[in-house]
Amino acid sequence: MSASWLLRRLALILYTVFIVSVLVFGITQALPADAAVTLLGENATTEALNAIRERLGLGDPIWWQYLRWVGHAATGDFGLSMRTGQPVGPEMLTALGRSLLLAVAAILVMLVIAVPLGMVAAVRQGKLADMATGLISYLGVSFPEFVTATLLAMLLADTLQWLPATGYVSPLEDFGGAVRHLALPVLTASLILVAHVARMVRSETLDVLHSDYIRAARLKGLPERTVLVRHALRNALLPVVTIVALDVGYLLGGIIVIEEIFAIPGIGRQLMVAVTARDLPSIQAGALIMSATYAVANTLADVAYAVLDKRIRYD
Amino acid sequence: MTAVLSLRDYTLDYLTGSRPLRVLQDISLDIAPGEVLGLVGESGSGKSTLAWAIMRHLPKNARELSGSIRLGDTDLRGLPPRELTRIRGRRIGMVFQDPSTALNPTLTVGRQVTETLVNNRGLTRRAAWDLALELLGHVELRDPDALMRRYPHEISGGEKQRILIATAFGCRPELIVFDEPTTALDVITGARILDLFARLRAETGVAALYISHDLALVSRVADRVAVMKKGRLVEEAPAASIFARPAHEETRKLVAAVPRPENRLVHDRPGDRVLLAAEAVSVRYARPRLFRPPPPPATHAVGFDIRAGEILGIVGESGSGKSSIARALTGLADFSGGIRFDGRPIGSARDMDGAYRRAVQIVFQHPDGSLNPRQTVGEILSRPLKLFGTGPANLSGEIGRLLEQVRLPAAYATRWPHQLSGGEKQRVAIARAFAAKPSLVICDEITAPLDVSVQASIIELLLALRAETGAAYLFITHDINLIRQIAHRIAVMRRGELVDLLPIDAVDADHVHPYTRDLMAASPTPVG
Repeated sequence: MSASWLLRRLALILYTVFIVSVLVFGITQALPADAAVTLLGENATTEALNAIRERLGLGDPIWWQYLRWVGHAATGDFGLSMRTGQPVGPEMLTALGRSLLLAVAAILVMLVIAVPLGMVAAVRQGKLADMATGLISYLGVSFPEFVTATLLAMLLADTLQWLPATGYVSPLEDFGGAVRHLALPVLTASLILVAHVARMVRSETLDVLHSDYIRAARLKGLPERTVLVRHALRNALLPVVTIVALDVGYLLGGIIVIEEIFAIPGIGRQLMVAVTARDLPSIQAGALIMSATYAVANTLADVAYAVLDKRIRYD
Repeated sequence: MTAVLSLRDYTLDYLTGSRPLRVLQDISLDIAPGEVLGLVGESGSGKSTLAWAIMRHLPKNARELSGSIRLGDTDLRGLPPRELTRIRGRRIGMVFQDPSTALNPTLTVGRQVTETLVNNRGLTRRAAWDLALELLGHVELRDPDALMRRYPHEISGGEKQRILIATAFGCRPELIVFDEPTTALDVITGARILDLFARLRAETGVAALYISHDLALVSRVADRVAVMKKGRLVEEAPAASIFARPAHEETRKLVAAVPRPENRLVHDRPGDRVLLAAEAVSVRYARPRLFRPPPPPATHAVGFDIRAGEILGIVGESGSGKSSIARALTGLADFSGGIRFDGRPIGSARDMDGAYRRAVQIVFQHPDGSLNPRQTVGEILSRPLKLFGTGPANLSGEIGRLLEQVRLPAAYATRWPHQLSGGEKQRVAIARAFAAKPSLVICDEITAPLDVSVQASIIELLLALRAETGAAYLFITHDINLIRQIAHRIAVMRRGELVDLLPIDAVDADHVHPYTRDLMAASPTPVG
């Protein structure tokens, strides 16, 4: 992977974010809501409305308003929330941090469950263990996250009283508390993903196990465990990296439901609140930050791919 | 002296569909210490299955009915999997056909060599690394240390096979099974691998089972040769005499099918009319990029001409640009330079009009890839027929005529490609090319995936078609003996350049390019 490739990928990320920024700005402009009316309420006087339009620059040409917004956004200034009056940027970034914590934890937990599950299913193809993992996988994808979440909460929080049902604690303040509060949402998010990643690992492992180099590894006398772990696992995991990158996109979107159920103030939930309150600066900031995160995650996946498979060269 | 490997009355079935298929029948053979037994036979004769049975790596549907396989004093059939793991690599090594797929693409070469030595010789990693350096140096690989830090895709096929052979010998087994170890390599590389095999064998005295479909090649390295047909051993004879006095009909067939350069199949001389002239044709695949020097061209300023009805052979090692020429002439690859066809200048693929495309046809190496699996043979042949002016009324008659022209029953029109054998598929591909009534047919390694006996029948067909239609052939191959039987002239390519263009009776002359001499010397000549 060359420096010029990385630079081009960075440019691509910026380009993506630019397109999204135009779309986001355009959509918020097209909304029937008048920012001034939203701010001051239906009963505001015309003078007051005009004054605030003047102050917010709402009378300026659209392209000038866009440039001003983008220019400020580039420095992290997304304006003030129409709902709380607080700066939107820091608020959204804090929320993003919480969501990322949830997403990364969910992906790690998912990998720890799904990879061994898929490997075992492949090695015992057609046997009981294979069918059992297949069944679990299909059950996993069949349940929408709100059902899984509710069932898990009923069992682990309500009946057994092991875990708190809702809320968020920062891991910097109380690590143990944070883990306990995150356990249910992380489990819910990862269970959805386990299903298809385990299937993917299974089919990839089957492919790899039928390859000539695995046969060669066996016939040169390597113990089966070495063949599986050293020779099969790495090659079977390669395509999974791509899937995981796509899952980041799912998590950023799908996590809204989970955040809502477990009352976690992540970026999904903040965005929901912003939409409900017609809080334009928050909507713009949230959408832009999410798309940038997605673009970065995909680039990281491509880098990981090149690190794992030396045949892939980006130049 | 007891045999290293001994099979007695070994019989094996594959369970396929309704009834079992007998793959090996009452196989009995012995390999003495230090002996090389060559095993030859057509594809499907069971020679590879025999290797898998010895390695105890049979597919799940295999059923062993009777017999024994003994390695020294050990009964291999009775061993549990754990014991087998201890025998593989340590007491029986194996070298595979394609070195490119036998190495794990995501681990360095050094890692894969040392793990084998650590596992089979009980060495520490350090000691294994040092031994690996020594082994690779011993098989004439330059800079083994750098080589071992590379990944398989970063080194050539010949280097990979050298490394795999060095590793197999380095584990000091009693027996090594070689499964067509040079088939995937080009002639010169293959010949060097063969020399290496002979040298290491002489030094170590390891016994070997050498499997190949190439009788000429096997008789060069083996002490004894066993011939298989339909799962049975039909003849076993010393390598020195099997060519001279083949006893069984199958052996005679294999011997007869081996192409011998002195046995010319073409006796006429082509006319003087130049059909196609290539002038300084260069093919470049990757586009030049900003800030980056352009990649070297696949072929560099290649010029030659083909006369009407001539057979021009193009030979050279893999990567020498032979196929790029075929791609340029058919408009599949962009090229610079020029082509004159029947006196008409053709500057680029865009100048190739219907008349040119009709006159110049190509047959590819792998019929599996070039025949659409979702079309019947009739549909495959109807396309060029319709394109070149056969009306719907005559279509089925023309298809039948084409099939009979390539010696296939007309009823094959309703068959699917997967219902045909490799040789039959290649006949369909040839029929498709001749549907356009071409004046030049480019044959790109068309017999490479076929057995020697099937190859012989395809060559016979091509020569008959040429006699009927007067078509010229541009015959790309790495089989020197074969091309010396049929070509009027031979073009020798090396690293994208044409180094020699010789009439067939001049290829052994003194003034040829040194590379041409190497190439001619490298092809295995039938002994006996």
